[in-house]
Formats: sequence, C-alpha cells, structure tokens
Amino acid sequence: MKGTIKKAVALGAAIAMMGGLAACGTSSSSGTTELKFQTWNLKNEKFTSYFEDLIAQFEKDNPGVKIKWVDQPADNYEDKLSTDAAAGELPDVVDMGPEPAYTLAKAGVLLNLADAAPEAEKDFLPAAWSAATFKGTDLEEGTYGFPWYLNSGPTFYNKAVLSECGITVDPNDPPTKQDDIFAMADTFGKNCGGKYALTSGIPSIQDFGMYGVQLMNDDRTEFTFNNAKGVEFVQHYIDMYNAGAFTDDMLNSSTSGESKSFNGGSQAFMNGNAYSVDDIRKNAPKVFENLAITDFIANTKPNMFMEMLTVNATSKHQDLAIKFARFVTNSDNQLAFDKKANVFPSSTGTIDDDFFNPSDDTMDAEAMRMSADQIRNGEIWGPPQFTSACSTMLREEIAQALQGKITAKEALDATVKYCNERI
Amino acid sequence: MAKTKTKKRGGDAAAQGVDPRSSGRIVPWLFVLPPILWICTFSLIPFFNTIRLSFTDSTLLKPGKFVGLENYVNMFTDRRFQTAFFNSSLYVVCIVPFMVILPLMLAALVAEKTRIMNFFRTAFYTPVIMSSVVVGLLWTNILDKDGLLNGTFKALKWISTPIPFLTDRWLLLFSAMAVTIWSGLGYYMLIYLANIANIDGTLYEAASIDGCGGIRQFFHVTLPGCRVTMILVMLLSSMSAFRVFGEIYMLSGGSGGVGGADLTMTMLIKQEGTGINARTGYSGALGMVMFVVLGCIIGIEWIVQRRSED
Repeated sequence: MKGTIKKAVALGAAIAMMGGLAACGTSSSSGTTELKFQTWNLKNEKFTSYFEDLIAQFEKDNPGVKIKWVDQPADNYEDKLSTDAAAGELPDVVDMGPEPAYTLAKAGVLLNLADAAPEAEKDFLPAAWSAATFKGTDLEEGTYGFPWYLNSGPTFYNKAVLSECGITVDPNDPPTKQDDIFAMADTFGKNCGGKYALTSGIPSIQDFGMYGVQLMNDDRTEFTFNNAKGVEFVQHYIDMYNAGAFTDDMLNSSTSGESKSFNGGSQAFMNGNAYSVDDIRKNAPKVFENLAITDFIANTKPNMFMEMLTVNATSKHQDLAIKFARFVTNSDNQLAFDKKANVFPSSTGTIDDDFFNPSDDTMDAEAMRMSADQIRNGEIWGPPQFTSACSTMLREEIAQALQGKITAKEALDATVKYCNERI
Repeated sequence: MAKTKTKKRGGDAAAQGVDPRSSGRIVPWLFVLPPILWICTFSLIPFFNTIRLSFTDSTLLKPGKFVGLENYVNMFTDRRFQTAFFNSSLYVVCIVPFMVILPLMLAALVAEKTRIMNFFRTAFYTPVIMSSVVVGLLWTNILDKDGLLNGTFKALKWISTPIPFLTDRWLLLFSAMAVTIWSGLGYYMLIYLANIANIDGTLYEAASIDGCGGIRQFFHVTLPGCRVTMILVMLLSSMSAFRVFGEIYMLSGGSGGVGGADLTMTMLIKQEGTGINARTGYSGALGMVMFVVLGCIIGIEWIVQRRSED
C-alpha cells in the first residue's frame, strides 16, 4: 500500500511537472473570428470603460468578430514585446512606440501598412506618418504602424530662480531657442553655481535634432550626429557645466528627476506638457507662484513623442486587424481618447477641435494652445534606430565629456560608433 | 530484518503481478524526475545555450551566425567592459576582508545566550531580511544631496556644499560597498554563530583558567575554531561581491553612476542582454567571463582550504 502511494505521488509529481511545462498554448472560440489587441498600461480606472465601449462598438459593427483586449504593465514592456515576437506570439494589433516598432519591423514581424493600407496616409498628420515610416539597413522602406497619439508641450520657467541668479526675462519676449539658454549660462552660474540648475543636465538625441544637428544619413543607414554641429552642441553643454549652470546630480537625472528638480524649486527651465500647469499648481504651489511659460525651446522645430498601433505581419486576420487599428485611430476615437488621456491626436484636422484650442486667459489654456500649435508644426526627432542602449551610451559619454574626461568629439564618436554597430 | 522486509515487499508486488526489481528501479527515478527536469530546463540547457550564444552575433530576434572569438576579442576593447570588470573586482577586494572579519567579531560578541544578546542578534540580522529595493531606497534617502547625512553635516556646520555620495564615481562605489557590508553582516554572523556554538566549551574554560581574557580567548580559541568557516565566508562573500547589482543599481538610479563609471559586470550583462535590442551573443560572452572568474575564485579558495586542513 505504502509503495503504491509512493508511486502515485511520484507519478503525480512527474505529470504535474510536465503538465506545467506544456501549459503554454492558445485557444480560440469557434464560430467567431478573434483578434488580440494589446495596449500598454491602459487597463485601469481611467481607461477601461473607454476601451470596453470602443471594442463593443467595433464588435457591433462587425458581427462575428471578437476582440480580446490584453494590457501589459508599464515596466519592461519592450521585453514583453520582444519575448512575444521571438515566440511568434505577438498579438494581432499592438500598441508600441517607433523604437521597438523599428526593431520588430526589421525582424519581419510587423506589417508594412504603406502597402497594405496606402489610403490611410491622408488621414494622419504628415510628421506623424513620416515618423511611422522606416527605412534602414536590411529593412524594406515602409510604414509600420498607424500613428495613434502624440505628446508635446511648452517650456516652463521659474521667474524667481532666474531673478535670484541675475537673469531678467521679458514676458513679452521670453527665450524660445536653445541658444537663448546657452547665453544665460555664465550669468546664471556666476550667481547661483551649485545651488540651482539652469536646465536639465544631459541632452537627449531629440535635443540634438531640435538644435539642427543632422542625426542620420539620407539612407538612414548610419548615425551622423558626431558632425561639427553635434560637437558644437555638446560643447555648449560643456561650457554650461563649467560655468556652474547645472549641478552634478543633474548628470544622473532622468526626465522624472528633471520634473522633481523643477517642482522642488531648484531648476530654472523645464520642458513640460499641456497639463503640467495643474500638476505644478497642486504639487509645487511655491513654484506655481513664480511660474511662466514659453514655447518649447528649440532652435528648429519642437519635439513630439508618438505612440502607434502596429499590425502583426503573421496575423491570420490581417484585413480585420487593419480595420480594427484604423477604427481605434480614426479621428473620433482619437479625440475621445485624447480628452481622457491628456495627449494629442495624430489624425488630420483633429487638433483643430475646440478642446485643444481654449479661448480663456488662464495659463492652463495658454499651455494647451501652445501644445496644439507644436503638434501642428512639431517633429518626432528621435530616430527609431536610436535604441534605449544608444540613449544610455549617449548619456554616459556626454557625462564624461562634461566632467572633462573626454572631449565632445570623442564622446560623440564613441556613441556613433556604438550605435552604428547596433543599427 | 531488512531481508524479511524486502521479501515481504517483493511478495506484495509479485501478488500484484509487478516485477519487484523493475519497480525498485523505476520508483526512485520517478521521485527525482521533477528536479532533474527542473535543473535541465532552468540551469543546464540555458548554461550550454549561453556557451553556444557567446560564439555568435545573435540578438533576441535573430539567431545570428558563428563569429568565433569575436565577442571575446571585442570585450577587451570595450570601455564599458573594462569599467565593469574593474569595479566588480574592486568590490571583491574591498568587501571580502570586512565580510570575513566583522561578522566573526559580531558573532563572538553576541554568542552569549542572554536576552539582551538575543535582541542584538535579531537587530544585526534585520537588514538581511529587508528587500534590496527597500535597502536601496533607505540608503538613497540617507546619502542623497538633500538626504539625512548631508542634512546632518550641514546642520552641524561641518560642510557648506553637500558631499556627492551618489554622483561621485568613487563615493558612489564605496557607499554601495558600505550598504553591502551593512546588509550582509547579519547573514555571515549567523554562520559564525553556528560554528562558535560547536567549539568545545572546555577550551574556553581552560583558557580562562590560564588567565586569558575575552580578547585573548577570541584570538586563541574562537579564531582558530572558525578557520574553516572563515574560508567558507570568504568564498560566499567574494562570489556575491563579484555579482553585485542591487546596491549600485538602486543608489545610481539604474544608471550605473555618472557616465556609467560605476557599472558592474551584472549591470553590464543586464544592459546588453535584455530589452528588444538585446545582444544575446555578446552578453553571453560577458556571462562566460563572469562564470570563469567565479570558477577561479572557487578554485583558489578550495586550494586555500585544502592547505589549511593539511
């Protein structure tokens, strides 16, 4: 009896073990066509009802279609995308930014929508469609996602910090260019060196683009931001650092660190968004008392960020997946989503809606109008080939250049070499 | 007696139409099958796959082709590898002496079985059970530019500008070492306590009769009695020091310090080997270098142990 029990337990454990290993699989309901739609961190109190209504409407308009909505948490989303893609389990319609989309497009996982749905181009802002259009090494030129939502915003500044540091800003002629900020560095550093930061410490690739640096060659096969203009740009930051215009801890700071520093009253300029005014009003009332606003500071066009809806190239129901992705990104549905999510539309003409162009005199309204204007005229500067690993490398190299360990040219050469090896 | 039992079992099996010898062979295998599958799936196969990957230029989404020793050659001209290898090695050199000596001293101090010593044992062990994220946040708040330490120093007028614990290349590294020591002391103290409990009490009595005080008893009884455990602690602490990740990751906000100057091997492997653009071939090669270094550490300490036993 005892032996039988032992055998049963051992056999059970072995079966459970193998069962556990074999438990990965998919199922589909019969009689209906099921599409899997994946979003990034959008299943929550704020957005769930929006997506449930959206899906219900699509299912009503398309009898026999069932949309299975899955949402992934904010952290490690790119890891999840790559794991799914490597396993051949990417959903039919997937929410992602241009950078992961470029990598997946290169791996042949995403559908070229310029071929599959060429009529869609006219429905989107040219800058957005252009940013979703990739070309590069080992990649057929094409558009690999429908632009979904955009974000941009004005630059905020703290008048009290600037005044204490010997800088007076004319409210009728505030700084609007990166060169204006560089010109303030000496005075700022002389009066406030080590105490306050003039702006965020380490420039991103988008900052290079806004300064007018050519980031890539025309074929999009190599990075070129180690050119003379790029070196000149980094040299400005080195000069600002040497003048004491930002503190050492800014060398390690991220975007959230920048916001923390500005809200804490220790940073003079911050690039924000249309809804930053309310955030500062609530969380940093002292800063709000001295808050002023100007256009996104850029020598050329302001920067925008974009999220897209991509279609899996191996989807069994590509036409339906395209139809659903176009439905989610159509003007009406974008507008409804943007109002909830505090973002901006990529569809043609939607930005002219009254919601984005309030007429009152509050700073919130001014920030909204400025943001809308930037959406009309902005550019998505970050090349999709510039991966997060390249961003890390750029930050590390520039930090070393600021500290005088290497020159601006050496920092950019090393970054360009690193990124070109991985392009 | 054993024979009778076997016979009886065999009799039962025979009665059930089962060959007792084959049953005796299968059952043990059924018991070990789950762990064997587990080890193969999650240790052995990934390990051999890592060796294979290290000779390819594969990325997460591309199998890659055989490139021979290219990854290993590239590593030695990679500034980030040099920094990471140096930092991890320095971590071992600086951490291990503290990890071997301090917990032993603590264990000797709290070995006495009294209530107050129970309290101290618990207090010293508390950091061990804290999550590394909590430890990281705690120390970030202490060491930050506006943190507790700089605030106190400023209040005492010892400094006028904050000490850059989290932004200076060396201060960040040494701060992380201090956190590692603080959070690891209790664990090794517990190992030493188990060892001290096994030292023959008559040795202390004899030493006491001979006029030895506490300090001399420590050097002449406790220390020799813990020699083998010290080698074990040296091995464990050097392996965990070379694999340091959490402390530097948390204190640097995930960046590996200003300009990546405080990167460690594990951080570099994570950066290269994860994400949608992961270079699995190169990170595999980094992993193999780490494996070889850890193997050498184990080998050296095994030799030391053998010699000390002789």
